[in-house]
Amino acid sequence: MAVDENRLPVPETVSDEYAPGVKGFMQGARSLLTGLGITASASTRKPITVRYPQEKVTVSDRWRGALQLKGALGRDEIDLVSAPPHEYNAKIDGLYRNDRLSPCTGSCPANVDARGQAFLIADGRIPEAYELVRERNILPGVLGRICHHPCESACRRNRYDEPISIRLLHRFAYEEYRKVAAERIKPLPKTRDQRVAIIGSGPSGLAAAYDLMSLGYTVTMYEREAQPGGALSTGVPSYRLPRDVLYGEIADLVALGLDLRCETEVGKDVMLSSIMRENDAVLLAVGLQDSRILPLPGTHADGVVGALEFLWAANNLGDAGVKGRRLLVIGGGNVAVDVARCALRVGATEVRLSCLESDQEMPCHPWEIEEAVDEGVIAMCSMGPVEVLSEDNQVTGMRMKPCLSVFDETGRFSPTYGEDTQDIETDVVVFAIGQAARLDSLVSGTDLLVSGRGQLVVDGADGTTSVPGVFACGEVVTGPGSAINSVATGHEAATSIHRQLEGRSLTEGRIARPVPVYEKYAPVDMEYVEPDRRRAVVTLADPDERATDFRPVESGLTKEQAMAEAARCLRCESEVCVGCTFCARTCPDFAIKVERTDQPGARCLTTYELDLTKCCFCGLCAEQCPTGALQHTGQYELSFYHRDLMTFDKGEMLRSDQGSRATGLDGITSPVCPAPRTGPGERP
Amino acid sequence: MSFLWGMLWGVAAVMVIAGGAIVGVWWERKVSARIQLRLGPQQIGPAGSLQMVADVPKLLFKEDIIPAAADEPFFRYAPLAVFAPIAMSVAVIPFATGWAPFDATAGALFFLAVPSISVLGILFSAWASHNTLSAIGGVRAAAQMVSYEVPRSLSVLSVLVLAGTLRPVAVMDAWEWWWIPATFVGFIVYLISSIAEMNRGPFDIPEAESELVAGYFADYAGIRWAVFMMGEYGGMIAASLFGAAMFLGGFRLLPGAWGVVAFIAVGAVLMTIIMWMKWTFPRLRQDQLMTFCWTILTPIAIVQLFAAGVIAAWL
Repeated sequence: MAVDENRLPVPETVSDEYAPGVKGFMQGARSLLTGLGITASASTRKPITVRYPQEKVTVSDRWRGALQLKGALGRDEIDLVSAPPHEYNAKIDGLYRNDRLSPCTGSCPANVDARGQAFLIADGRIPEAYELVRERNILPGVLGRICHHPCESACRRNRYDEPISIRLLHRFAYEEYRKVAAERIKPLPKTRDQRVAIIGSGPSGLAAAYDLMSLGYTVTMYEREAQPGGALSTGVPSYRLPRDVLYGEIADLVALGLDLRCETEVGKDVMLSSIMRENDAVLLAVGLQDSRILPLPGTHADGVVGALEFLWAANNLGDAGVKGRRLLVIGGGNVAVDVARCALRVGATEVRLSCLESDQEMPCHPWEIEEAVDEGVIAMCSMGPVEVLSEDNQVTGMRMKPCLSVFDETGRFSPTYGEDTQDIETDVVVFAIGQAARLDSLVSGTDLLVSGRGQLVVDGADGTTSVPGVFACGEVVTGPGSAINSVATGHEAATSIHRQLEGRSLTEGRIARPVPVYEKYAPVDMEYVEPDRRRAVVTLADPDERATDFRPVESGLTKEQAMAEAARCLRCESEVCVGCTFCARTCPDFAIKVERTDQPGARCLTTYELDLTKCCFCGLCAEQCPTGALQHTGQYELSFYHRDLMTFDKGEMLRSDQGSRATGLDGITSPVCPAPRTGPGERP
Repeated sequence: MSFLWGMLWGVAAVMVIAGGAIVGVWWERKVSARIQLRLGPQQIGPAGSLQMVADVPKLLFKEDIIPAAADEPFFRYAPLAVFAPIAMSVAVIPFATGWAPFDATAGALFFLAVPSISVLGILFSAWASHNTLSAIGGVRAAAQMVSYEVPRSLSVLSVLVLAGTLRPVAVMDAWEWWWIPATFVGFIVYLISSIAEMNRGPFDIPEAESELVAGYFADYAGIRWAVFMMGEYGGMIAASLFGAAMFLGGFRLLPGAWGVVAFIAVGAVLMTIIMWMKWTFPRLRQDQLMTFCWTILTPIAIVQLFAAGVIAAWL
C-alpha cells in the first residue's frame, strides 16, 4: 500500500522549522535552554555504570596471552625417568608433584617409563629402550606377554582414539634386544661386600635381586623347582608365555651376576636359619603355593583339584589327567580362565567356567574371558557352588544355585543366593578361588611369626618381617595379584634391604610411591578416526587350532608396526611438542597447522603455525595438549607491523615467554630439523 | 634581557595551558560522564584525577607515525603552528590589578588577531596529511574560523567602546558592575563564537568524527596529536579567562587577592559551560553553521556594539 506522505499525521508540537523572525528566534533559544536543562538534570542523577573494584588487578597465570611451545620434537629431547632403585620413588614423586609424570608411568605399579620406551623405539634406539624398561621391570619380555597393562588404560591417547600398545612394545623391544643381548650384557660390579639371599625366583624376587646387584651387593637366589621363575614358570600357561622367553631373561640376570640355585628347597635342602647366618639380609619372595578349596560337601572326592596343582601339571607334565573328560572350573579370576584354557589344551572335552559374578562383574580381564569363550569355554555366570556330587568317590557333577548378588551395599563380599538348584555333570572340578602361602617348613627353626591364618607377619609398606634382617615381598605380602605388582614390591623390599645394610632408618625420609588417580576413558567413537591413527593390531591364532596345543596365541609386532606404534606416543607431560595434531583438531577456528616427520633418528616437528588472526584465545588447544608443551604466555599486548606477521611459525612459537613485546620483527629463526643418522651401526 | 623574560613568560604560558589541559581533560571526562549517567575515570588517583598524568606519558611514548605520502616538514610542525598562537594569546589576559604577563597597549586586538594565525596551522596540517578527509576538515575549519572572527571581535568591541581603550589592563581598571547587564548579549555572542573558533561541539564539523574521522588531524598520533588537543584546551582556557575578564569583571569581582581566585573560578565556570554545551547539542550542518554566524550572531553583535556606542556617547 502506497503511503501518501502529505497525509501522514504530524504532531503539532513537532516542527522541523522554526517560525521566522523574533518568534522563531525565541523558540530556538528556548529549545537550546531546554536541552541544557535536560543534560544538567541528567548529570545530577545517579550513574548507572558499575564502579570498579578497589583492589588492583594482577596478572594471573590462568589469563590467556598468545600461545607458545615449551619445546619441540627434533629440538628438545625428553628426560628419561631414571634413578637408582632406592631413589626412584622420590624421582616419581617429584615428577608427580610438578605435573610432569606421564599417566602410563604413574599408573604402572613399578613406574616403568613407558613414555621413554616409546621415545627410544621411535628413535631407533631399541636396545636402549629395553634396558630402560628393565631398570624397573626386570622381565620386559615376560611382562610384554602377560602384563595386564594398567598403563594402557591410563594412556592419554584413550581420549583421542586408542592407547599405545605399550605391552607389545615391551615384547618387540625384547625380541630386538635378544639379537644384541650377548654383546650388551656385562656382569654388574660387586662394589659392596655384603651378601643378600633371596628365597624364590618369581618376579618380585628377581626385581629385588636386580636392584640389589645394581647397588653392588652379592645376591644368592634359592628356587625349589628345577626351573626358575616362580609362578611364571609353574602357573602361567605357556601359550601365553613361552618358557624360552622367561628362562632367557632370567639367564640374562645370571649373566649379570646373580647366583641362582635351583632345585634347592629352603626348609628341606637348606635351612633358613643357616641362610640367615651366612647372609647380611634375607628376602622371602616365596609367593603362594597352595590353592584354596571351598569347604563344601564332597570335596574330598577324586577329581577335585586346586588350580595351582592343575596348572603345574598342565605346564610341566603336559597332561593333567583330564584327557577326554569334562571339566568345571569354579572361579572367575584370571587363574580360573587360565585353568579353563589349559584344560582345553590338555584334552578336556567340555570346559565350563562358573563364577558368582555376572558376566559384567567378572574379576578376570575382559580380553581373557573373551579369548577363552572364543576357544570354546562355556562361561556360566552368576552361579554359586553348593555340593560336589560323587559316585564311588569319583566326581560326577556339581550342584549349583543361582547367585543373585555378590556384594552388599557397602561393597563387602556377601553373596546372596536363589533357591532352585541345578546339577552340572562333570568329571573334574577345579577350584580357582584363591591361593595361600605354605610356610611351615620354611620358617621352622627361625623366629619368624606366622599369623593364625597361616600368613607371614609382615609390614606391607617396607617389607619387614618379625625378624630384623629378614624381609618379604611379592604375593606372600600382597596376596594374589599381578606380576607387575609383585615386581613393584620387589623394588620396595630392595630399598628396605639397602637402607638396612647401609645402617639407615628404614622409614626416615623414605618417599612412598605416589598413587596418582587417572581418569577413566569412555571408548572413543572410531568412525571418523583415520586408519593411521589407530593402534597396532596383532593377529591372534585361530581359536579352533590354538585351543589344541600350547602354541603362543598372540603374535608380536613387526619392526615397521612397532616403530609406527612408538611414534604414536604423545609423550605426555614432557613439555615437548610431538606434533600430535590434536591442538589443530581441537581448534574451533582452524588456526593451527601442525606437521611432523617420523624418520627414525630424525623425528621432527617440521611445521607449527598459529594464525593469530583466527585465534580466539579460547585455550582449548593448551588445555588438551597432552605434553603440556603448548602454553599461554603473559604477552597480552602483542602488536604487529603487518597482518602477515600475525602467523606465528615454529620459531616464533618457541620464543621466550618473558615480557610483552611487539612481535614480527624479532628475527627468531626456526630451529632446523636434525638430519637422519647414517653412521655405521646406526639404523636410519 | 626582555627577550629572556619573554622566553620565561612563554614557558610559563605553555605550562599554564598544559596544566589547564590536564585538569580540563579530566574535568571534561567527568562532566560528559555525568551527563551520560556514567562515572568517568575512577581508577587512577582520587576520582580518577590522575588519569591524565598517566595518559600524558603514554602519549609521549607512542610511536611518531608520519604517513608515507605526507609533506613531512609541514606535517611535523603544523601542530606547533596551531598551538603557538593560542599560547601567545594567553599573554595579554589581565590577571590582577595593573598586571598582565604582556601588558600590550593594543592587547585586546592582539588577543583577537593572534589566535587567528592557527587557521594557517590547521590548513598546513590538513594539506600536509595528503588525505581527503583531512583536506575537507581543514577547509571547513578555515571557513568556520574566519567567519566567526567577525561576531567575536564585534562583541568584544562593545566592551572596548565602553572602556575607551584597547589595553586589557586599562579595561579592567575602567570596569564597572553595570557593564555586565549592558554587554550581556555581547557576552553570549562572544561565548558562542569562541566555541566555534576553537572547533568544539556543537561546531566541531571540521573534526566531525562520524564523517571525517578527525578532520585535519586524522593522521596525527602520539605527541603531535596531543599538541592539537592542547591547542583546543588552550583556546578554551584563553577564551574563558578573557571572557571572564572583559565581560564579567574578572578580578574586580572580589577585593584584593581574592579577586584572582574569583577570576579563575569564573573562568572555570565558563569552561564548564562550554563543555556542557558540547555534550548537550548535536553537531550543526555546514550551511546551518554559516547561516547562524552571518544572519544571527553578526547582526546581534552589531546591535550590541551600537548599544554600547550609544551608552558610551551618552555618558
